[in-house]
Amino acid sequence: MKKVKDFLTRDLTSVMPDTPLKEVAEILSWRGISGIPVVTENNEVIAFISEKDIITSLFPEQVKIENPDVIRIGNLSEIVKKLTAVGEAVVRDYMNENIICAKEETPIADIAGIMLKKGIKRLPVLRDKKLVGVVDRANLTKALIEEGSFD
Amino acid sequence: MILTVTLNPAFDHLLWLKDMKPGRLNRASTTKRMPGGKGVNVACALAVLGEEVIATGLLGGQACRGYEESIRKAGVTTSFVYTDQEIRTDFYVVEEGKSSQTMLIEDGSPVSQRYLNNFLLNFDRLLSICEIVEIGGSLPSGVEPKFVKELIERAKAKKKKVILDLGEPILKELLDVSGLFIVKPDVREKKILFGRDLGDPDVRMAVAKDLRSKGAEMVILNYSKLNYLVVGDGEIYEGGIECEECGILIGVQDGMLAGFINGYLSEGNIEDAFKIGLASGLATERSKVNYPTSKTQVERLLSTSKIRKVG
Repeated sequence: MKKVKDFLTRDLTSVMPDTPLKEVAEILSWRGISGIPVVTENNEVIAFISEKDIITSLFPEQVKIENPDVIRIGNLSEIVKKLTAVGEAVVRDYMNENIICAKEETPIADIAGIMLKKGIKRLPVLRDKKLVGVVDRANLTKALIEEGSFD
Repeated sequence: MILTVTLNPAFDHLLWLKDMKPGRLNRASTTKRMPGGKGVNVACALAVLGEEVIATGLLGGQACRGYEESIRKAGVTTSFVYTDQEIRTDFYVVEEGKSSQTMLIEDGSPVSQRYLNNFLLNFDRLLSICEIVEIGGSLPSGVEPKFVKELIERAKAKKKKVILDLGEPILKELLDVSGLFIVKPDVREKKILFGRDLGDPDVRMAVAKDLRSKGAEMVILNYSKLNYLVVGDGEIYEGGIECEECGILIGVQDGMLAGFINGYLSEGNIEDAFKIGLASGLATERSKVNYPTSKTQVERLLSTSKIRKVG
């Protein structure tokens, strides 16, 4: 059975806790990804920041838990105030430290189960706590199809 | 782990024509587009040869996601910093039956300081997970050689081995930097370095020794089409890559350097490293991309590597 090391994307794109949120938005947009690992200066993964983390932090009362992708807009001046604040914010203010990571030796079935159960789109892959790549649903799906069977 | 730095990467766009007529409409019968840039080519070749390698640099524009994906397919880990400028394209016109290709090279677009700062932050993080840093190729418009010097100083401060594969305009600003692992001046077709003609055996020997005395452990000097002089501690060798008359030479020099690095890391001596380098260069010329197809292919070509001790 395939392991994470057989299909992960060996991309080390990451940010640090003091990276401005504006830069995170730029990275996510240019790379067409939903989230990015947060690392220390030694490349150790300490958190993850996703578009969902930013949006749900901005509009917690408006976000329906069952469908966080849909936001109802309320008071406009309140939203402008929040957007101004987010423009000055850094990753530390919005990152999620409660993260799940994979190791290169993790079997494909285990990682598929975790991603489905927890609703995770993208997670970091570590070697000795350091980032070596990411697994997302697209490369997981591709690997599962190539595997031909999944128990 | 080896880190390669390509500050001014490009797509290599090959156009095959029967006969190019300047000033007229020319239609290519076949085209091919692949990621290029000296450091990236070295990274791909190193990955094929079995080394763990990370490629970093500056990328930008719509096509850069595909660029990174292509080199990851070769086995390279990527960690590029994206900018708001489009990646450049280098065009290579290959004419049927001709032994040389016409190259049209774009200069890189200017890069704002903000992205250079992001690159330095990322570079520092990558230094924590690598042992060797290879810096190759040209610089984007407006980026000064002192930026490369800054990278070297940061790498040396963290006790990393540094390899330079740079052109004369950058290299001449770095001559006061000591403690380098390998220096390979990128002389392209002119074969003149610091105003000295490398075609003369005595001159090239003096140039290589000069570079070594300035603080490089090993110097690889390309003195004619694909012939090299390699100078190390008490050992000097010459040898060349025997390519086909009409072969495509994109990446051959980079394949040679990658083979030399891989060979030196595995065998620990210049003689074997040089032979593996020449085989890797030849394997690149025979492959359909700008790096060798496989390690087996390089091993198979190893018997064709002919070198001689000249000092």
